[in-house]
Amino acid sequence: MNSMAEQFLEAGTLMVTGMVVVFAFLSLLILFITTVLAKLAVKFPDTIAPSTNRSNKKHNKAASGEISPAIVAAISGSINRYRQKHSQQNSKK
Amino acid sequence: MDNLNKLWLSTGLANFELGQVIMMLVGCGLLYLAIARKFEPLLLLPMGFGAVLTNIPMAGFSEAGGFLSYVYHGGIETGIFPLIIFMGVGAMTDFGALIANPKTLLLGAAAQTGIFVTLFGAIALNAVPGIEFTLKDASAIAIIGGADGPTAIFLATKLAPELLGAIAVAAYSYMALVPIIQPPIMRALTTLEERKIEMAQLRPVTKIEKVIFPLGVLLMTIFFLPAATPLVGMFCLGNLMRESGVVDRLSSTAQNELINITTILLGLGVGSKLSAEAFLNVETLGILALGAIAFSIGTASGVLMAKVMNKFSKVPINPLIGAAGVSAVPMAARVANKVGLEANPHNFLLMHAMGPNVAGVLGSAVAAGILLALVG
Repeated sequence: MNSMAEQFLEAGTLMVTGMVVVFAFLSLLILFITTVLAKLAVKFPDTIAPSTNRSNKKHNKAASGEISPAIVAAISGSINRYRQKHSQQNSKK
Repeated sequence: MDNLNKLWLSTGLANFELGQVIMMLVGCGLLYLAIARKFEPLLLLPMGFGAVLTNIPMAGFSEAGGFLSYVYHGGIETGIFPLIIFMGVGAMTDFGALIANPKTLLLGAAAQTGIFVTLFGAIALNAVPGIEFTLKDASAIAIIGGADGPTAIFLATKLAPELLGAIAVAAYSYMALVPIIQPPIMRALTTLEERKIEMAQLRPVTKIEKVIFPLGVLLMTIFFLPAATPLVGMFCLGNLMRESGVVDRLSSTAQNELINITTILLGLGVGSKLSAEAFLNVETLGILALGAIAFSIGTASGVLMAKVMNKFSKVPINPLIGAAGVSAVPMAARVANKVGLEANPHNFLLMHAMGPNVAGVLGSAVAAGILLALVG
């Protein structure tokens, strides 16, 4: 019975220590996020993706020698449709 | 006649013991839960099959030199499998919601109360005849409250390997039962008005924050809790592979092929510990009961903490997201979202609940580190 009381005492100490350490550790992590990470986010913001208007202009400038992605997509789509149609016809046969 | 007798003695029918039959049925029960009820099928299916294999008479799957004994000793006893799984989970985890709302880490911390309170329960069970849990056993059982399978297996192999089978079965069963166990507790501890609370949209998180976060967590663990570095370290490695964006192939392997292969072997290895002598006793019943208590207390503590935070916070916090503080990613967050939607059909809490959910993963790894440091 005495040893059980000792075990309870040990479990109690473990519980208090454990909860304090878990809270302390995760609170430090909050501090880390709100200070270090927040400062880093301000100093190194994500690069902004090019706007759609700009890319549209680029699409229109296909004559510059590069094939516009829009044209590539259109050609790929046509080829896919042709292949699908072709394979369906073959399978019907 | 002699040969016929020899042949009969080499059959399974002649060598079956009652315990083996019962354990095979337990294995089939796990298979049923996995296949028919879809309860954590990824782990319960190989685990159930492992239980069947290990109880086949004369086959020697789990005896020295048997396939499952190699799987167990090589992957589970050494702690390799749970750690590889933790790396995969890290590679799958997006800390964006947590970084955007760091206060939710407190919810992840509160939900660990289930672990430490259950220690008392395990010690109290020693009053029942036939049960004798040491503090190490109690710690390994209590970690079920963290609702984190790999962490539970890792800690059980270190502190109480003889209880591994029962602890793993309890941990994964209760994780699968999150949608059944949690909602009644969440509803009981919150008012309808609280469940209706809509939360402010989260801010976008930059890439640099996501890259530095795992490194910061690792650094803090090295400084303050090195006992938790195996778990936290592998988790952070997986997460860094994901967020750095420079090793997509490794990240993809960690969260797909590698974690899948390891899950198969982990399930089989844990199943190999489901032998009659290790499982069919009063202690297993105690572990199953304590697991449910640990889980419920963890859920309740998270909800109560969120209620307190909502009282003092300038921005509203829906207490339901506190329940996601037990890890069980992403099931617990989905449950919070579902219960929130029941109260208010326009209330989408999923992203808000992911914060405490991933905080719970870190919290349970930290709790495991504390238990290892103090009891191990």
